[in-house]
Amino acid sequence: MSTKSPTEADILRPVNNVSKKFFMLFGASALALGIFLVAWMYQLANGMAVTGLSDWGSGGGVTWGLYIGAFIWWVGIAHGGIILSAAVRLLGMDRYMPVARLAELLTIAGLSAAGFYILVHMGRPDRMVTSVLGHYHITVNNSPLVWDVTVITAYFVLTATYLALTLRYDITRLRDQLPDHFEPVYKVMTLGYTKDEDEVVERMVWWLALAIIIMAPLLLHGGVIPWLFAVLPGMPAWFSAVQGPQFLTIALTSAISGVIIVAYAFRRAYDWDHIMTDDVFRGLLLWLGFFCLLFLWLQLQQNVVGLFAAPVDTFVAQEATLSHWAYLLSMGLVFGTLAYIFAQTIRPSLFTKARAIGAALLVLTATLLEKLLFVVEGFMHPTFEIYANTPGEYFPSVIEWLSLLGTIGMVVLVFLVVSKVVPVVELHAVEHLRGDHGHGHDDADDAATESEVKA
Amino acid sequence: MSTDDESFHPLGREWEGELEEMLDDTEYDSDLGMKMAQDAMRVTKGELSEAEFHEMYHDDVMEEFGVDDRPTEAAYEQAQEAQKGTATRMLEAFEGDGEQSRRETMKKMGAGAAAVGLGAWATVDDGPETNLAAADGDDGGSNEGTQLGMVIDLERCDGCLSCVAACQEENQTDQGVNWMYVLDYREPGQDEPGASRNRLVRPCQHCTDAPCEKVCPTTARHTRDKDGLVLTDYDVCIGCRYCQVACPYGVNYFQWDEPDVSTDEIEEMHSDMDGDHMVDDRDRWVDSRAPRGVMSKCTMCPTRQDGHMGDEYRGTTACEEACPPEAINFGDMNDPDSKPQRYLRNVVQTRAERMVDGESPNRENVQESYDFLEGDIELLDMEYLEDGDHDEIEAALFIQGELDADDLSLDDEELREIVIDILGGADALEDLDEEELGTLADILLGDADEGDADADDREAANDAIDAVITNAEDGVQNVVDRYESREITPAEVEESLLILDGEEEPWVSEDGITDESTAQQVLEAYAGGEASTFKLLEEVGTNPNVTYVGNEPGPEAEQVDGPVAYSDIGQTDNRKDVLDESTVGDFGVSL
Repeated sequence: MSTKSPTEADILRPVNNVSKKFFMLFGASALALGIFLVAWMYQLANGMAVTGLSDWGSGGGVTWGLYIGAFIWWVGIAHGGIILSAAVRLLGMDRYMPVARLAELLTIAGLSAAGFYILVHMGRPDRMVTSVLGHYHITVNNSPLVWDVTVITAYFVLTATYLALTLRYDITRLRDQLPDHFEPVYKVMTLGYTKDEDEVVERMVWWLALAIIIMAPLLLHGGVIPWLFAVLPGMPAWFSAVQGPQFLTIALTSAISGVIIVAYAFRRAYDWDHIMTDDVFRGLLLWLGFFCLLFLWLQLQQNVVGLFAAPVDTFVAQEATLSHWAYLLSMGLVFGTLAYIFAQTIRPSLFTKARAIGAALLVLTATLLEKLLFVVEGFMHPTFEIYANTPGEYFPSVIEWLSLLGTIGMVVLVFLVVSKVVPVVELHAVEHLRGDHGHGHDDADDAATESEVKA
Repeated sequence: MSTDDESFHPLGREWEGELEEMLDDTEYDSDLGMKMAQDAMRVTKGELSEAEFHEMYHDDVMEEFGVDDRPTEAAYEQAQEAQKGTATRMLEAFEGDGEQSRRETMKKMGAGAAAVGLGAWATVDDGPETNLAAADGDDGGSNEGTQLGMVIDLERCDGCLSCVAACQEENQTDQGVNWMYVLDYREPGQDEPGASRNRLVRPCQHCTDAPCEKVCPTTARHTRDKDGLVLTDYDVCIGCRYCQVACPYGVNYFQWDEPDVSTDEIEEMHSDMDGDHMVDDRDRWVDSRAPRGVMSKCTMCPTRQDGHMGDEYRGTTACEEACPPEAINFGDMNDPDSKPQRYLRNVVQTRAERMVDGESPNRENVQESYDFLEGDIELLDMEYLEDGDHDEIEAALFIQGELDADDLSLDDEELREIVIDILGGADALEDLDEEELGTLADILLGDADEGDADADDREAANDAIDAVITNAEDGVQNVVDRYESREITPAEVEESLLILDGEEEPWVSEDGITDESTAQQVLEAYAGGEASTFKLLEEVGTNPNVTYVGNEPGPEAEQVDGPVAYSDIGQTDNRKDVLDESTVGDFGVSL
């Protein structure tokens, strides 16, 4: 493993250096986002007819498609990110401390992408404030969509607070080595800082983490997001109590995959082998395997219940899902990843970072496919499937595919920009690594205990 | 599927065997009704002018019903000024129980006025209240106040799609935006589509516990306090389409691009009425097609309910008005005396009432036939003749010397033409040409010498003239015979209806229908037995306000082609066909 000892200079490297590669990646990401923005303008000018969507029923299509599928996907990545970070703090999983802030940033970036998708998806985004906020006190009582907006906003605020509080500690201590042109930003962020607050902040952060850990399964990706679909009795592909846990497992697999990819990118760009050690990746991969298993287990539940002796509408929907190539591909990818992860646990030599990245990418592809199909299948096989034009047809248009490119570009941009302003690895992590070097075995025990707690 | 079935015994095959023999003897032309309905549709589409339509069927109508009660052309022009503009009124003249609906309209006006007053008080910027009431939702369907809805008799629907076309015209919706949708379906294991009456009429169900309203993040989708209509406020909707996702019936249509008809055009179309057919009494934009980027669906015509089109349109919808067999019954589902509730209470009676309206031979016709046989009325004075034409009888009577030249209503030329027609129809004279027939006619009318024609021909000509009278008289006798044999003619149906209504001795003679149980049997044989009723997907808990009479589609029912295709009425069935044209990068594949 690492031979060098982590230093403050290590985590400051991204802030104080720019390379050609940075500008190239920045340019490519900005271009991706820019292309989609142009496409979105075209959509705003010509209406939603530029998408591949139509009305379900006699209209022969699906009314929600890739925009909503990708929205859930990003929200999943985001929610999983903050859960991971909160678990690190709350449960003392110190081994993952170096990637905690990246996970938090992934939450901020993912939620931004998801929020953007809400705007892109709407027929009249200009009315968002007047129509939604104006009637909020009424609609919050009964519209799952309003619950969604509420909880996502709450999570954005929680995560931002969390991030802002922990950054105060770092910025104050590292201020001298941070670039002066961001002085106003640092000033605002450390407003009124005194050393006495460290202890208070630590407690606050702990409570925030507790709130996040409790709210995630109850309200967030195990709650309001699946409820958007699971509470609708007319759509048997969705109407199921298993959607909550299922969404949560998908969120966690996606988020861990996301963190693996982001962490690997930073490690490679800034030579952080000694900070984000192979050990971290092995651990993340194991967690990924664990959630992949839960993911497949819950899919199994749906298939057995939906196919054994289900009501006609449920049976039709489940059978259609099970025989769909996208579903089989998605399940195959997750299963393959799971098989690899378990194999490399038994035989550690099978682990390489490239394979870890590969596993993460495959899982992200699988969850995106699953989400897209999940949304579409609901409209394809409703209870009232009497229409000749149902199941309808849907394939995302070029503009919809570009949205995926655009939001990925957007998320990358968030990382590129933030990493130039503040350290993306906590000072605490460096201090911890210096203090507690080589406690790999303890960490493994910790992880085992955590999985028991979770289970 | 024969159209005769639909007109005379909607229960179809079961009844057919029993009734066919009896019905074969009747002469009422249901084909004509269907043809007129189809052409009426052409009128609504503007392919045919109302005047042309009127003219086209005048002769047939006279022949069939002996009277043409349709508004005259002049009346049409008036009607056009009143912006009615569709051919439906012409059909109403035959099938509508005009008297009753007028009475009901008057009643509704009273209740409506009260509701408007109350509504205005309760709905001052009322989005919140409306929605909170709906959010409560656990009262299992409100039984208080007005709740507009429909009773749709699926066994009366003939799948002509007149309602679909009328809705499109009323609301100026785009191609494929079928707020009203009619579909035929097949149950699994059923070989032949249409073997039994499997048809569904699908407007919005205007649910009491509308899931679309519940999930709306903006209150754009709301229930109107005064009459329970579930509407979309086009000025509030953000186009998230969650209502469409939550609705189990698939009645929502999003406005994916700029609508074909502009608001200016809609305003222009309705410039002579009170509102603009868009804004309702509460000043909310809820009617006509949606603007770009927001959701739309069947509204059940708030503009009409608010009286903007005139009080006679209150309590009606465009689809109801357009339906030739009057399968759609719109009104207050909470009022036991409303049109739909009355229909539901006695489906068979109401159905028979409507089917028999304008049909012959009715009670008066039978009475007249008795009068003739008893010598109280002359053949020529009869309103209804089953077999025989007034002009031909007049000509025959004149030739026979029974009618003075002074009493003739025909001029010489007409008379000669009619006689030629009679002779031309005689088998014995079929070899003669027009000129020879003319000569024979002249001989009969005393305008030519007997020697101008062959003696056999002259004899045959006289026989043909006699046959006109004998046939007509036989026809009259036949009406009475059929009546006395209790064949189910409109007269028997009318009697049965009156008996069940409690009227004393409504029969023409004791040989007609005289007791309640026979009366009930007659009605069931004529209009079909007591049919089952259902609400669509009731188990989903939406408390829909549309009640259907007829067969409920099973969970595996699948739509099949109906008798009239959407393209036949200039509409699009699958909207995706239209929308694909605007898709950027339509790969022609599907997930």
